[in-house]
Formats: sequence, C-alpha cells, structure tokens
Amino acid sequence: MKALPKEVIARIRAIAERQLSPEEFDAAWRVPIGGAERQDILSLIAWFTRRYPTPAERLVYVRRAYANWKRSFPPR
Amino acid sequence: MQGSAFDEAAFFAAIAASGARALLIGRRALVALGLPVLTADYDYWIHIDDLERFNAALTKLDLRPNLQPAEARSRGRYVLENDERVDVVVAAVIATVDGVRFSFEDVWARRTILDCGGSDLPIPSLDDLIATKRFAARPKDLEDLRLLEVLRESEEKP
Repeated sequence: MKALPKEVIARIRAIAERQLSPEEFDAAWRVPIGGAERQDILSLIAWFTRRYPTPAERLVYVRRAYANWKRSFPPR
Repeated sequence: MQGSAFDEAAFFAAIAASGARALLIGRRALVALGLPVLTADYDYWIHIDDLERFNAALTKLDLRPNLQPAEARSRGRYVLENDERVDVVVAAVIATVDGVRFSFEDVWARRTILDCGGSDLPIPSLDDLIATKRFAARPKDLEDLRLLEVLRESEEKP
C-alpha cells in the first residue's frame, strides 16, 4: 500500500478527533439504527463473544489485530 | 506499538493490586464487553485522590507520567507512556457535550467488575459507558454509541 502524505493523515486525524457541537452530535445521534445495521452489529458481537469468551481473550485479540492493522500505515 | 511485548495481564493486575479507583473507559472497555473495535491506547478515568497510587503501580511497568501530579490534577488529564500509551482523566466531575454532569464517585458506585485473567477490571456500567461517549463527542464516539446501544438492547431482551 502506498503511504499517504503526512499532511493528509494529519488532516484526517483532525477531522476524526474534533469535538462535535451539541447540535451536530444530537442530529447524528437521532439517525435511527436500521434493521440491517442492527443485525450486522449483533452478528459481530455474537461472533466475537463466541470466539473469545472472556474479556482477557478479547483484549489480547484486539491488541494483535491493531498491531497487524497498524503495520499497513505510516507512523504518526 | 507492538501487540506482543506488552504484558497486558500484568498491567491490569498492577492497577487492581494498587487499590486505585480506576475505571477502564474508551474503546478497550467496549472490547472487554464484546465489541470488536480497534484502538491504540488505554483510557482510564481515575479518582482524583488516587493519582499517585495509580502512577506508582504503572511506573513499575516502566510507564511514565508526562505531568507532575499537581499539574495533572489541574489540567484534568495526563498521559502515562512508554511504547504503550495510557490516557488518564483525573477529574471529580465531567460534563457531556450537552452539559450533563457525571461525578466519578457516582460512576464508580455503579461500576461493573469484569474478570480479566484473574484480575478485577472495573468499567463503568453500560449506561455510564454510553454517557462517557458524550464527553468528547467525536465522530468515532458516535460510531461507538451505536454499537453500545445495540449491545444494551440485546442485553435487555430476555
């Protein structure tokens, strides 16, 4: 994968980490969770908790998954 | 940050053994509850009187605070880090983006205690964890809120 320019990454981070106004937040929050989205989330939870039954196992899995994911991106 | 070198079990055990009132918040709390989301850091909300105790426990694991205790209390947040990063909120009260105030004492009293490899892992109740997502109110917090709401609905069903 080709690395993104640092300024692009910084811009994406700024957008993702900015605090929304109360109005923006509530407007987004009022969007209902649809049936398909709900089913997708429930399916994900069912898989994750079945595959990793304990909190410790889930946390270990996510550390490993994050490390694998991060290798594909340039450092901060 | 690597996924293997850090001894996460020792990390949670050290915090539990310290006696510090410390709540795991943020995405790792979601993970512990069963939501598979990615995250880089550990986020804690600790009792304002337990900062030194919390730091002492983690300094033994070579995690170093970026601020002296008085300044950390004054700012309301600080970081412990080495190759890992622990973001710490040290505030008696936090307000949501729409001004609802939550006290640590109340959230601590309602906490859920998970077993994490033999160590107690206190996290906020599901309702309070949902509220914490309204503290910073970032776009990613909205994503997490949707996941938490579906988790709450699923737990409310018989």
